[in-house]
Amino acid sequence: MTYGVSLVPWCDGRDGMYGWIWRHLPGNALFKGLISIVLVLATVYVLFQYVFPWAEPLLPFNDVTVDNQ
Amino acid sequence: MRVIVRTVSELFITVGTLIVLFVAYVLFWTGVRADRVMDDQIDSLQQQWAQEPAVTPRPSASPEPPTPYSKGKPFAIMYIPRLGFTWNKPVLEGTGTGTLKKGLGHYPGTARLGQTGNFSVAGHRRTYGDPFKDFPRLRRGDAVVLTDGTTWFTYRIDQAPYRTVPTDVEVIDPVPRKSGYTRPGRYLTLTTCEPEWGHSHRLIVWAHLDSTQPVEAGRPKALRR
Repeated sequence: MTYGVSLVPWCDGRDGMYGWIWRHLPGNALFKGLISIVLVLATVYVLFQYVFPWAEPLLPFNDVTVDNQ
Repeated sequence: MRVIVRTVSELFITVGTLIVLFVAYVLFWTGVRADRVMDDQIDSLQQQWAQEPAVTPRPSASPEPPTPYSKGKPFAIMYIPRLGFTWNKPVLEGTGTGTLKKGLGHYPGTARLGQTGNFSVAGHRRTYGDPFKDFPRLRRGDAVVLTDGTTWFTYRIDQAPYRTVPTDVEVIDPVPRKSGYTRPGRYLTLTTCEPEWGHSHRLIVWAHLDSTQPVEAGRPKALRR
């Protein structure tokens, strides 16, 4: 992530984390958009499949027994 | 300055999205998944029961001790008409986190289904299919019906849910002191969390065995509409 005081306004997407990713995707805007959707879906999949199942037992909803076995 | 603002705002957007996704996961997706898993458990049980048609001729001469329930495996199906006419859940051996994701959990070391002692079962109030969501609606006289493939067991609840603390292990004793039972008998205990989304207390329901009948005799009266 190359940060720096840029003269380019933020809204043309030339900076920031998401701007950085956008700039590094290949192809034209349409193709970039498609890849972005795939990336988002992949992230959601990894979260639902691996990250959340790990995090969920840390919450109190699992304590339903009287001896905490 | 602008860099800081931009970085912070991007972080906030990311964290916010994560939280929304996580809430969706806990509220919705665990239920979708659990419903599927519980249906699978019930299907495999019914298949298993269909394959070994009533292998219990019960040799009266030497009543050999029954094989213990295997850990993490389903062995019975529970029906509670008060929680919904279609409400049925598999009962698995053990109360581990992984087991309770697949159904209700039988406390190891408590009585077997239908035997003298206290057959104790724990279940989720919220998340993972919300099996015990309507637990507070249970009342005296409500039926809790279980089947192990050969016999129907009908338990009757004796009092409205009793609220206690998580360390109160006495509630699953063979004769739970606070239940009002004084003599050994065939009891059933259900436990879940209280409040609905918290873990500071537990809700307990006690029932006694009211009647049994072989599966060949059809569904017990409590399950008929």
